[in-house]
Amino acid sequence: MRKLLIAVVPTIMAAALVALPGCSPKTAEVVVYVSEDQVFSEPILRDFERDRGIRVKPVFDTEEAKSTGVMNRLLAEKDNPQADVYWANEPIRAEVLKQENVAATYQSPSAEGIPARFKDPKGYWTGFSARARVLLVNNSVANKPKSITAYRDPAFNSKTVIANPLFGTTTTEIAALFILWGDEKANTFLAEMKRNGVKISTSNGESADFVASGDSAFGLVDSDDAANLIKQGKPVEMIYPDQGDNEAGCFIVPNAVVLINGGPHPEAATKLIDYLLSAETERKLASSDAAQIPLHEGVETPAIVRKIENIKTMPTDYATVARKMREIEPVLKQWSGL
Amino acid sequence: MRARRITLSAALLILAILGLAPIVLMFMRSLTVDGAFSIENYRHLLATGRSWQLLANSLALGLATALISTLVGLPLGLLFAKTDLPLRRMFVLLFALPLVIPPYITAVSWADMLAPHGLASRFFGETTAQVASHLMFGLPGCVLVLASTFMPAVMLATMTFVRTINPRVEEAARVSARPLRVLSGITIPLVRPGVLLATTLVFLLALGEFGVPSFLRYPVFAVESFTQFTVSYNFGAATALAVPLALLTFIVLGIEWFALREKIQSLRPASNGDYNYFVPLRAHRIWLFVLVSVICALMVITPLLSLMLQAGSWQSYARALEVVSGSLLRSIFLAAAGATALTALGFFVGYVIRTRAMSIWRAVDAGTVLLFALPGTVIGMGLIALWNRPATNFIYATPLIIVFGYLAQYTALTGRVTVAGLSLVPTSMEEAAASAGAGWMRRLARIVLPLVKHTLVTGWLIAYIFCLRDTGITMLVYPPGYDTLPVRIFTLMANGAPALIAAACLFMIVATALPLIGVASLLRLQRRHSWR
Repeated sequence: MRKLLIAVVPTIMAAALVALPGCSPKTAEVVVYVSEDQVFSEPILRDFERDRGIRVKPVFDTEEAKSTGVMNRLLAEKDNPQADVYWANEPIRAEVLKQENVAATYQSPSAEGIPARFKDPKGYWTGFSARARVLLVNNSVANKPKSITAYRDPAFNSKTVIANPLFGTTTTEIAALFILWGDEKANTFLAEMKRNGVKISTSNGESADFVASGDSAFGLVDSDDAANLIKQGKPVEMIYPDQGDNEAGCFIVPNAVVLINGGPHPEAATKLIDYLLSAETERKLASSDAAQIPLHEGVETPAIVRKIENIKTMPTDYATVARKMREIEPVLKQWSGL
Repeated sequence: MRARRITLSAALLILAILGLAPIVLMFMRSLTVDGAFSIENYRHLLATGRSWQLLANSLALGLATALISTLVGLPLGLLFAKTDLPLRRMFVLLFALPLVIPPYITAVSWADMLAPHGLASRFFGETTAQVASHLMFGLPGCVLVLASTFMPAVMLATMTFVRTINPRVEEAARVSARPLRVLSGITIPLVRPGVLLATTLVFLLALGEFGVPSFLRYPVFAVESFTQFTVSYNFGAATALAVPLALLTFIVLGIEWFALREKIQSLRPASNGDYNYFVPLRAHRIWLFVLVSVICALMVITPLLSLMLQAGSWQSYARALEVVSGSLLRSIFLAAAGATALTALGFFVGYVIRTRAMSIWRAVDAGTVLLFALPGTVIGMGLIALWNRPATNFIYATPLIIVFGYLAQYTALTGRVTVAGLSLVPTSMEEAAASAGAGWMRRLARIVLPLVKHTLVTGWLIAYIFCLRDTGITMLVYPPGYDTLPVRIFTLMANGAPALIAAACLFMIVATALPLIGVASLLRLQRRHSWR
């Protein structure tokens, strides 16, 4: 027994040393908290490490926490920040960080060419590589919906699906609709949707699966979910909604990068931000499975990713949307049954 | 006496600093709105009718999970420990597996199976799968997932406590009673304290669980607290919503204290080593074997098979190993370190509770159980508030903070296991050594520890499992670049390849099983040496 312990304990200790943080030689490093999916963001961060020689120490968000774990962490760590950069998968969280004085200003030279509507005017956050909120429609549907208002169309009674609006990009879009339409019209829309038998799924990914399987005729999902299914050869079509002359346009959800106020490695942080906002990073995110829409004009994209200049986008003030989201939380809770 | 007082006080001080201080900080935050004292968070809690609905739902989930876990776990534990059921060792291993998989993954696995064109629709037709899927999203689904995850706790507790019964008591009863009557009249009443303990833990675990009810859309207090953190970033309101969970915990503890009172003392160690009273099943062997196999297929094999089918080829395992190997190593190391620290702290905490060595023993017991029942998010946020300061960066920015989190949440487990172990040590032995002049430390080292060493090993293993599968605290405090395997799995779940995630989950099961098998082999080896 003793001999076994003598053999086992040093092995565990050696493994621990290998696994412990801070055991590698001292190099420049940057700490980044990431809400963008790990499978998409990690390769970009590895490229940055390789290209710039700066070690990246990431904290990724989890699906279980609905991509809000690192936000809570950033807010709780406000008085002694551990992170240098926050890579948000939508700008609302970046807005909350600005309102809570967690964000610092930084105008990156790489952000030139990104339309002003996707940036905070003072540089508290900058948007890049966006998702569009699109209608994913099964190929068997004869009259394809062109607007999100098709959710209340009796022709689609009990044939539509939407992700739980209490979490993620669905919450953001509904908050944007409350601002665009006003509370009364938005509440009526939600009520009519429910009366028309909309199914509530656990995530946009699940909504997309329901559409692909033919269980639902269409669903409002993120463009990356739609693109992935199309790449897999599923019988679905991606429709950018509300593109007509008198229509509101498609809701756009860019990633957002934030410099953390008082972070431990400010110099490395700005280098990482410059790297993330570059057209080259946008190109990589467009051609990966993330299928995200570059916000710089003229960036080369695969056929499945429509260029931002070719999409009619919904006019959105993300700061107002952030405030509205908190306001409509009770409505959404009641609506979703949680 | 001085050594005893200093050591036990130090243990309780550690518990207070690591466990209670973060919670006190969070509680104080819940009494503050915009920087000023306010009871608004609690007024809002009491003013809405929704709170009562949440309370009813939380109770329903906790009670149904605990009830089903006990109704299945107790008979299974008895079958495996007291009868000659075929393949019982294999069944024990299989039934214990779900305990190591985070229940959220089990829920996702079930939902995938019941999805359109999922495994269920292929075997039973789409209509049946649709009905099952409809049932899955709500209380029945939550209970199914949580009961299949936590039932092994009751089963293993039953088995452990059955082994502590003096077989002579059962044999004496057997002279005039049938085996079934001995089981119901002697064995079950004697293991009741242990089973009740496990049932209470299951109830508390189900009460504090947010991942599964959130995914399966069943509103309970833990989910409401979670959404306050995630949607509103309102830490004060989120903590206030955890207070009903704390109150429910105290009520359950009160019931448990009343039900057990001094009953645990009636257990005594068997004097004949490994000798056990066995019940031959005879004609009942076959149908009981079939029944256990069916339960095993439903609760264990189905979700496991789903994971294996999703993992598919060996390439997935190779790719998963490449992606998660660092996290896997860190998880094993952290879980081992956490379990060791928990066993040490739990021993002294259990000693205080069992021997009532300090007047605050009841408060210590209640405090540890309260920490165990609180959502990990609340404890995690409290840990950040307490330790994230420049002066304590050497703790907060290192893996020590994760071990602190484990100590804060899971001391109840090792503490209570120690209490159960100490209840088997006759106090007369320690008293005799004391009157012979042996000091407290010497008595601990020479008498108490050798007598409870197997219990401590059991406690270590339980703590290892809980540390390994922890996500609630770990995902909030893990140092940058130092994620653990369950955290890695959860981050991969967002758009990661299902085959990769399934293979990573299976690695997690192996990571848990290996130390369990290792410790079992060591114990067997040691037993062989002692026979020689």
